[in-house]
Amino acid sequence: MTRECAALLPGVCAALADPRQPGLDDTCLEKLLDWFRSLTWFDQTVELVQDNPCLTELLTSVLALPDPSPSILSFTLQLAGILASSESRFQHLQQEKLLGRLFGQEGPRGSAAWEDASVRSAWVKGVHSMVHHQPALHFLCSTGSMEVIFTLQGDPSLFVASAASQLLVHMLTFSLESETTKALSTKDCDWPVCAQMIVKHIEESLQSGSASHIEQSLKLLSSLFGSCFGSCYAAWTEVLWLDIAKQIESFLLEETVQAQPVLANLLLNVARSPVFCSTEGNFWTLVTSALEHLTPVQAGPLAVGLLKLCKCPQDVRIQALTVLLQPMDCILRAASQPLECAGLLDESVSDPVAVESLLSSKTSCAGLLCQTLAHLEKLLSLKHLRVDLPCVSLLHSLMTILQFCNGFLSPASPLGSTISRNLINCFRVQKSALDVLAALSEKKDCDTLLGSLFDVLLAYLQSPNTNPTVLKKTFQATSKWLVHLQELSSSNSQWQQTEKILEDVFVVLQKRLCSPCWEVRDSSLEFLTAMTKCLRDQKEFRQCLLSSEVLRLTENLLEDPESYVRASAVTAVGHLALITCFAPEPPVIGNQYNKESIVAKLQEILSTDSEGFPRRAVISIFTKWLREGCTGQLADTEQFVSRVIQTVEHDLDWEVRLGGLELVEIFCSQTTCQLAQCPYAPVSSAVTSSTPQNELLRVFCRTKLFGFLFGSLCDCDKPVGQRACDVLVGLRAHFYPMSNLENPQEIEDSPAGRGVAWLQRTLRQGSLAQNFTMDGGDGVDFQDPESMMLALGAIDLLELHDELNKSSDHMEESPQSLLQDILAAVGTIEDNEVDCY
Amino acid sequence: MPEIKVTPLGAGQDVGRSCILVSIAGKNVMLDCGMHMGYNDDRRFPDFSYITQNGRLTDFLDCVIISHFHLDHCGALPYFSEMVGYDGPIYMTHPTKAICPILLEDYRKITVDKKGETNFFTSQMIKDCMKKVVAVHLHQTVQVDEELEIKAYYAGHVLGAAMFQIKVGCESVVYTGDYNMTPDRHLGAAWIDKCRPDLLISESTYATTIRDSKRCRERDFLKKVHETVERGGKVLIPVFALGRAQELCILLETFWERMNLKAPIYFSTGLTEKANHYYKLFITWTNQKIRKTFVQRNMFEFKHIKAFDRAFADNPGPMVVFATPGMLHAGQSLQIFRKWAGNEKNMVIMPGYCVQGTVGHKILSGQRKLEMEGRQILEVKMQVEYMSFSAHADAKGIMQLIRQAEPRNVLLVHGEAKKMEFLKQKIEQEFHVSCFMPANGETTTILTNPCIPVDISLGLLKRETAIGPVPDAKKPKLMHGTLLMKDNSFRLVSPEQALKELGLAEHQLRFTCRVHIQDPRKEHETVLRVYNHLKG
Repeated sequence: MTRECAALLPGVCAALADPRQPGLDDTCLEKLLDWFRSLTWFDQTVELVQDNPCLTELLTSVLALPDPSPSILSFTLQLAGILASSESRFQHLQQEKLLGRLFGQEGPRGSAAWEDASVRSAWVKGVHSMVHHQPALHFLCSTGSMEVIFTLQGDPSLFVASAASQLLVHMLTFSLESETTKALSTKDCDWPVCAQMIVKHIEESLQSGSASHIEQSLKLLSSLFGSCFGSCYAAWTEVLWLDIAKQIESFLLEETVQAQPVLANLLLNVARSPVFCSTEGNFWTLVTSALEHLTPVQAGPLAVGLLKLCKCPQDVRIQALTVLLQPMDCILRAASQPLECAGLLDESVSDPVAVESLLSSKTSCAGLLCQTLAHLEKLLSLKHLRVDLPCVSLLHSLMTILQFCNGFLSPASPLGSTISRNLINCFRVQKSALDVLAALSEKKDCDTLLGSLFDVLLAYLQSPNTNPTVLKKTFQATSKWLVHLQELSSSNSQWQQTEKILEDVFVVLQKRLCSPCWEVRDSSLEFLTAMTKCLRDQKEFRQCLLSSEVLRLTENLLEDPESYVRASAVTAVGHLALITCFAPEPPVIGNQYNKESIVAKLQEILSTDSEGFPRRAVISIFTKWLREGCTGQLADTEQFVSRVIQTVEHDLDWEVRLGGLELVEIFCSQTTCQLAQCPYAPVSSAVTSSTPQNELLRVFCRTKLFGFLFGSLCDCDKPVGQRACDVLVGLRAHFYPMSNLENPQEIEDSPAGRGVAWLQRTLRQGSLAQNFTMDGGDGVDFQDPESMMLALGAIDLLELHDELNKSSDHMEESPQSLLQDILAAVGTIEDNEVDCY
Repeated sequence: MPEIKVTPLGAGQDVGRSCILVSIAGKNVMLDCGMHMGYNDDRRFPDFSYITQNGRLTDFLDCVIISHFHLDHCGALPYFSEMVGYDGPIYMTHPTKAICPILLEDYRKITVDKKGETNFFTSQMIKDCMKKVVAVHLHQTVQVDEELEIKAYYAGHVLGAAMFQIKVGCESVVYTGDYNMTPDRHLGAAWIDKCRPDLLISESTYATTIRDSKRCRERDFLKKVHETVERGGKVLIPVFALGRAQELCILLETFWERMNLKAPIYFSTGLTEKANHYYKLFITWTNQKIRKTFVQRNMFEFKHIKAFDRAFADNPGPMVVFATPGMLHAGQSLQIFRKWAGNEKNMVIMPGYCVQGTVGHKILSGQRKLEMEGRQILEVKMQVEYMSFSAHADAKGIMQLIRQAEPRNVLLVHGEAKKMEFLKQKIEQEFHVSCFMPANGETTTILTNPCIPVDISLGLLKRETAIGPVPDAKKPKLMHGTLLMKDNSFRLVSPEQALKELGLAEHQLRFTCRVHIQDPRKEHETVLRVYNHLKG
C-alpha cells in the first residue's frame, strides 16, 4: 500500500462506518474490495491489519451499529473474509473476537439483515475468501456455519445458491487437499472433518427423497467433478464416486427423480475427470445406459460432451453419435418414399418412437432439431473427432430440413407431412441448419450432392419469403460451398456446372443488391466481398462478374442512405477494383470500373461522408491497395498518399486518423525499400547531397507526412499519438541508425533549428498544444527536409513514446483515486440526487 | 395454477443496468440487455450464465426486447448476441434500432480509445447484432411465434422509448422500461390502454419523489449559460451522442434566437446532422408541438449551432460547446475541459450522472485538483454545475400509469430498495394489488388465473344478442348457459340444447321451506305484507 493510500484509508473507513453518511455508489465498494483482494493476494503477513488499525476498527464499528445498511454490512462481511484469507490475519481478527461476531451465530445470520439477499451473498463470499487455511475450516465447522451453507444452496436468490454451491466445492477440495497427508483409498474416519460433513450431507440429501435436495446435491457433485482436472484429486474422487454411483444409477433407471439434465451433466463431468479415463469399468456401462434412458433432448448434451473426450470407449462414442444423429435419421426416413432411402443409421440407441413423437409435435420439433443441429455444428468444428461422421447422409438430411422449412418438399408419409407442417417458415431451424451446412463445406465426399445442394441454397436466395437473418446465413453457406465447388472443378474440370451455378448466384445477387431492406443489401455486399476475396483468381468467377450488373449496382450503393451499406459497398468496390482496375492483366471484355473515377469516388467519401463507418472503410481499402502495390509508380503513389493525408488529418473520427497513420507507415516502409539500396548505409548529415536517403526524406516531405505525424503526437485520442510515435521512431531508426544528433543543444542556431525548438516545446504540451498548424506557419516547416532531419534527430522520441504509453488509467483504476472519490463523495450526495439515464 | 416468473439479472433494487428475465406460459423473454458503465471488466455485463445452466441460450430464450437506446438498457446486446452466442430474435422500435448502434459505437470508441481494450465488441459486431433486430411500430401486435405476441406503447423518456406488452394466451405482462408521464420539450407523455395485465413491471427511479417542473431546471440552465457567455466565458456541455443533447440544443437554439445572442454554439463530431436526420425521420415520435410546427420550421434545423473544429477550442471570446463523451472520460470533451479548466470565467455543465473514476464524477463531488495522466495536477478553477434532465416518471406518474393499465400485480425494478419499499406500500394500499421488488438474482413467482377457452353455440350467442344491447368490447356482460365438457373440449350451450345433445329429460325441482313469523297483526294482513315484500 502506498503512503498516500495509507494516509487516506482511515478517513475512508471512518466515513464508511458512519451511519449518517448516505449510501455510497455500489461500484465504489466493489472496487474497494478489489483493491483489498489484490493487496492480500501476495502479502500473507499480518502487517496490513496491524499497520492499518482503521480496518479492524471499521469492522468493530459496523458491528456496533444497531441497524447497519445492507450494503455496508455486505461490504464489511466481504472485507473481513478477504482480510482473514491468511492465517496470521485470521488469528489477529480472532483475537479481536471479530470473526465469530461476523460469521458465527451471533452475527448477521440471526438478524433481520439476513433477509436481504446481498447480505447472505456477502456472507458466502466472505467465507469463500477466508477458506485458504485450516484454522478457517475448523472455525466454520465449529460455529454451525456448515449447516448455514447447506441451507443456502436452496436460497431463493440464484446468486446466493450458486455461490453456496461453489463454496462447498472449494471447501471439500481444499479440505481434502490440505488436511490429509496419506492417500485416501476408502471413505472413513481418515477423511478430514469438513470433508466428512460435506459428503455426509450429500449422501443424506440424495437419500432424502426430496426432489429439491436431490437436485442441489447432484448439482454440487456435478460442479465438484467438473472442477477436478488434476490427477491429485484422483483417489478421493473415485472413492466419492463409488460411494454414490448406485444411488445415481437408481435415479437414472427408476426415473423417480425429475433431474435428468443435472444427471446427464454430472455423468459428463465424471467422465471428464481423470479417474475414469480408463475405458473399462462399470462407469461406462452407466453412461451407456444413460444414453439409452434419457430423452433425446436430455441425452444430446451428454452425447456431444462424450464425443469431445480424448479418452472414451469407442463403442460409447459410436453410441453417442447415434443419439445425436437420430433426429437427422428420422428426418431422412420421413422424407423418403417407402423402400427408397434407408435413412442415416443402421440401428438406434433409444426407442426411435421417442424421436418421432418429438418431431411430430409442433412445440418440441423445432427445439429438438435446433439443439441437434447446434451439437452437430460443434462436432464439425472439432479438429480431432474420433468417429466418422456420415457427411453425405448428413448433408442430405440438412437439405431435407431446409426444404421442409421453405415448403419445397412435402412428403407423402404421414410423419413426413407432419414434420414438414411443423417446420414450415421456422426461422430458428433454418438458421441452425444453414450454420451446419456452412461447417460441412470443409468436409470432403459430399460432391455428388453439390448440384441439388445449390438448388436448395438458390431457392433460399431467390425466395422473397426468406427472412433477412436467414438470408445472411444462406449467403455465408453459399460462399463457403462456392469455394469448395471451385476447388472441385479445378480438379475434375467440370467447369460448366460451376459456371451455371455462378451465373445463377449473380442473377440473384443483382436482385438482392436492390432490396429495400438495408440488412439484405448489406449482407449481399458482404457476400460479394467474401466471394471476391476467395475467387478473384478464378476465370469463371471473373467472367460471371463482368457480364453481370453487379459492378454497377455495387458502385451505386456507395451513395446508399444507410451508412453501414455505404461502408460495405466501399469494401466491396475496393476488392472488385483489384479485378477490374488493378489486375496485372485487366479484363478486356464486360463491365468494368474506371480506375480514376473509383478512386475519386472513394476519396470523396473519405472527405465528405458524415458517418465514420464509410470513411473507415475507405481508409482501410486505400491501405489494402497500397499494400498490394495497386497505386502505381512512386510518383503516383506519392500523390495518392499526400492527398489521403490531407483528407484524414482533420477527420473527427480518431479511427480514421489511425487508419491514415497505418497507410503512412506502409508508404514509408515501401518507399524506403524502393529508394534505399542498403537500409543500413550511414547517412550524411548534409541533406543537400543526392543520396537515396536524402531523396527519401524529400519524398516524405513532399507527401506532407511529417506534419501529419508530428501533429498526431498531440492528438486528443491516445492511440493516434502512440501510433504516430511508433512510425516516427521507425523513421528515426532509419535516418539515425547509429546514434542521436550530435550537439542537440546547438540546434537553435539556424532558422531550421529554431523551428525544431518550437516543435519540441509544442510537443511537450501534448494534447493541450494550441493550434498545431500543419503547414508550418508558426514555427517549423514540415516540408523542409533539413528541418525534418533535424527534428527526427533532436526530439527525444523514445521519451515521448514512453510518455504516451504511460497508463491513462490512473484516474479510473488507481486505488488512490478511488479513495479520494469516496472521501469527496461523503457529505456531498443528497438523498435524492442519485441519478441515471 | 399457471404462473409468471420474473428474475432480474440487473435493475433488481438498483439502477445500474437493466436485464430482466420473464417466464410466462412456457415462454422465456429477456427484457433489456444493459451495460453497467461503472465497471471496466466483465462486471459491466449481466452474468448470462444464470439464464440457463445446461443448454444453449438461443434454445432457452424465445426473444429479447429492448425498451430504448440508453446503454444501461441495450449496452450488453452486441456482447450477448455476438460474443455469448444468443442467436434468436431481438425486438425494439424503429427509432431505437436506428439510434442504438450510434450510442454503442460511441461507447466502443471511448472504451477502445482509453484502454486499448480487446475484449470488447467491435464495430462489425454492433452491425451484425443490429441486423438481427426486428423493428416494431407502436401498437403493432407482433407475433414472435404462434403463441407469444408483443406490442409496443409510447413511453416518452427518449426518442423511440417504448413500453412492451408480452402476451401468451390470456396471460400478459407489461414492461415499462424507462418512461415519463409528463411531456417535455421534444417528447410526449407515456400512454397505455387499460390492458389489465397480470403483471406490470415498472421502473421506479423516482419512486419517492415528486419532481419539480422541468421548466424550472431549463430556466436555471439557460440562466447559467447566458451569464457565463455574457461575462466572456466559455461553456462546455459534455454529452452522449444522442438524446439529451438534442433537447438542450433545442433549448439553446430557441433562447439564442429570442435573445438575439451572437456567441457561437458548437456541437462536436458532426452529430447535429445525424440527430437532425433521425428526429426528422421519426417526427411522429416527438410531441405534438414539434409535429405541428414542423412544416413551418423544423425544430431540429439549428441556425445557431455549428459543427465544431478542434482548433476552435483555442479561439478567444465566449462560446458554448457540446462535446462527447458525456462523463469526461476521454477524447474531445476531456481535451476541451483540460484547456478551459484553469479559467474561473468558464463553466462546465454536466447534464447527466457520471460513474466513479471519470473526471466528471470527480469534479461533481467537488474535487478541484485532479491528477491527470503523467501525474500532472490540473487545477479546476472553472465553475462546475450539475443538472439532471433525466426524464423518468415520478411517484405521481407511476401511480397514474398503474391506474391507467389496471394490472393485477405490480413489480418494481430500476430503483433503490428503500424508495421501492415506500412506493410498494403505497401501491398496495391504494390499488389493493400485490407489489413485488425482487433483488437481482431473486425470482418472484406470480400465480395467474388459468384461462380455458370455451366455444359458444351460435344459438345461444344469437339469443343473448337479441335480448341485450348491442355487443361492446369495452362493456363485458354476463351470459348464462350450460357448460358441456365432452371429448376434451368445452362448449357453452343453452340449457335446452344441452338436454337435447345429452338426451336427458328436464326435471323441475321445487324447493319449499317453512317459515315461522311472529306478527301481532291479523293473518291476512301479514300474508299481504309478506307478499308485497317478496314482490318488491
